[in-house]
Amino acid sequence: MKLDASGLQTFAPHRADPDNLYPDLSAPPSFDLPGCPDFDGFQKKAIQMVKPAKGTTTLAFIFNEGVIVAADSRASMGGYISSQTVKKIIEINPYMIGTMAGGAADCQFWHRNLGIKCRLHELANKRRISVTGASKLLANILYSYRGMGLSVGTMIAGWDETGPALYYVDSEGGRLKGKRFSVGSGSPYAYGVLDSGYRSDLSIEEAAELARRAIYHATFRDGASGGVASVYHVGPNGWKKLSGDDVGELHYKYYPVVPAIVEHEMADAPPA
Amino acid sequence: MSIFEYNGSALVAMVGKNCFAIASDRRLGVQLQTVATDFRRIYRIHDKVYIGLSGLATDAQTLYQRLVFRHKLYQLREERDMKPETFASLVSSILYEKRFGPYFCQPVIAGLGDDDQPFICTMDCLGAKELAKDFVVSGSASESLYGACESMYKPDMEPEELFENISQALLASVDRDCLSGWGGHVFLVTPSEVQERTLKGRMD
Amino acid sequence: MECVFGLVGDGFALIAADSSAVNSILVHKSNEDKIMVLDSHKLLGASGEAGDRAQFTEYIQKNVHLYQFRNGIPLTTAAAANFTRGELATALRKFCFGQSPYFVNILLAGYDKEVGPSLYYIDYIATLHKLDKGAFGYGSYFSLSMMDRHYRNGMSLEQAIDLVDKCIIEIRSRLVVAPPNFVIKIVDQNGAREYAWRESIPSV
Repeated sequence: MKLDASGLQTFAPHRADPDNLYPDLSAPPSFDLPGCPDFDGFQKKAIQMVKPAKGTTTLAFIFNEGVIVAADSRASMGGYISSQTVKKIIEINPYMIGTMAGGAADCQFWHRNLGIKCRLHELANKRRISVTGASKLLANILYSYRGMGLSVGTMIAGWDETGPALYYVDSEGGRLKGKRFSVGSGSPYAYGVLDSGYRSDLSIEEAAELARRAIYHATFRDGASGGVASVYHVGPNGWKKLSGDDVGELHYKYYPVVPAIVEHEMADAPPA
Repeated sequence: MSIFEYNGSALVAMVGKNCFAIASDRRLGVQLQTVATDFRRIYRIHDKVYIGLSGLATDAQTLYQRLVFRHKLYQLREERDMKPETFASLVSSILYEKRFGPYFCQPVIAGLGDDDQPFICTMDCLGAKELAKDFVVSGSASESLYGACESMYKPDMEPEELFENISQALLASVDRDCLSGWGGHVFLVTPSEVQERTLKGRMD
Repeated sequence: MECVFGLVGDGFALIAADSSAVNSILVHKSNEDKIMVLDSHKLLGASGEAGDRAQFTEYIQKNVHLYQFRNGIPLTTAAAANFTRGELATALRKFCFGQSPYFVNILLAGYDKEVGPSLYYIDYIATLHKLDKGAFGYGSYFSLSMMDRHYRNGMSLEQAIDLVDKCIIEIRSRLVVAPPNFVIKIVDQNGAREYAWRESIPSV
């Protein structure tokens, strides 16, 4: 019996040719490997040095009117907040969006790469790629890099010929189809709110509010999540951004400050 | 993650003209999980001396209880309150007592002396005093606080301006720290009165 | 894995805890009561290492009783909480001489005539804080946001039990190592007592 290594053979040239300005776009990207004898050790150290931003809350769910996708916008390095305005929902094409959790660069690069692949599929086949197909493309790529330090936890949500679809894909090679997912360090908190409020017959407004609430509660309890709660909806006509609320303001909208009772107010004495 | 950042904290004290302000965040967390948003890190020793204890919350509580005890003994024996300088030395020696198993706290001490001259100081967890004329900071947001205070501090501020200044510095700094924030407490101390104010802040 | 959570309602406080006694991959018992009735108006929900939990909670209980016998009045909830914290904090720094800190996280609920119901959070490193709602263990990730979402000040008992059930369902459906059975106890002006069990498998 021979070991099937065909999954690894998709990247024919593992050494990129810097002189070739017109690489074959449809070929999977290839990367220079570090030219050191201890590849694994180098890899481990390199991952520590560019330690990817981990804190995130993203969620997505399917309901009767389509898919709702929501995320926070904080990027952190250890305890330091490096940005409060990260775009964690990535628009792959007008009918499909992906979410970002884990390494920011990994997510951005591979979503863009997936966008290219989806467009090429569209041009070659004169029809849009299904969400099932697109998520599988991504999952296969990520799987082929397994163990090399990629860090991606993403949801691919979209509307195709079969209707709304939602997949969870991660860099460990997992790919799950489902109705309701949340990814990131704040996901358990988000699930707590999402599970108790979810129904398939929610209206778009109700669904968006549920998603917003779930992200808000996750940002409240999870130190690594925060910033802006963005909510997207994917319907038969493609995705649309519904809202982007600053969580700092959202808190006081949900829980207005009750003015403290002033025990004794200073006032000018009335004129005699 | 360092044990000093286990619970998350931000502490700052600033000097104004014959007054001082000391401010902290309100979060109590366990690593990244927020447990409470009404936690106190600034304690009153007497009307003119305050201590803020950043770092591990349990040690802050233990240390505070021991400091209150020692200060009460002092009051009984001397029939007067401690001067801020004396209190700082007390804190320092109590910290060094535990040289080989330290309290994981970085205190900030602020007080008004006899002639209403403000006194602020901070120390490390072993009790090495560090006096300053302008401001002192500590906690998991201390790096951002240094930046904010460095650029915002002005000498000889009046109480209201000092309050505005320290509040803005605190709120701006905790917005760059995952482990602190969720509102703030400010104590504004002048020779004639003490004001405690609660700050509304981002809750993420 | 262990889940203890509690909340304060209108005139009562309640604690819910899982009832699994686990060792490695083995479940010894699924009806282990982890909420101790400390005295007539106090509940002590504990999670942590099995030996430490049993030893420490019993030690606290006997000392609270001793105080009542000696002085003829019971400790208030706040006093009991501070006593518990003190014992934990003292043990925390006893690494040497064969002693070790207790690994127990505690939720202390009580009812006092003067202050009404209250809930205290004391973690294994002896951080003490008074809360409206709190949770320990892996279940806290799910139950905390659930309680944040649905908790209101002055909830009735029915509403609170409804919320507890929501939390239990969430933990059972989302937590990998979810315990099957839970016990709920409440304390109000009529005393501390067991309220109900939520069992999904027969007790072994």
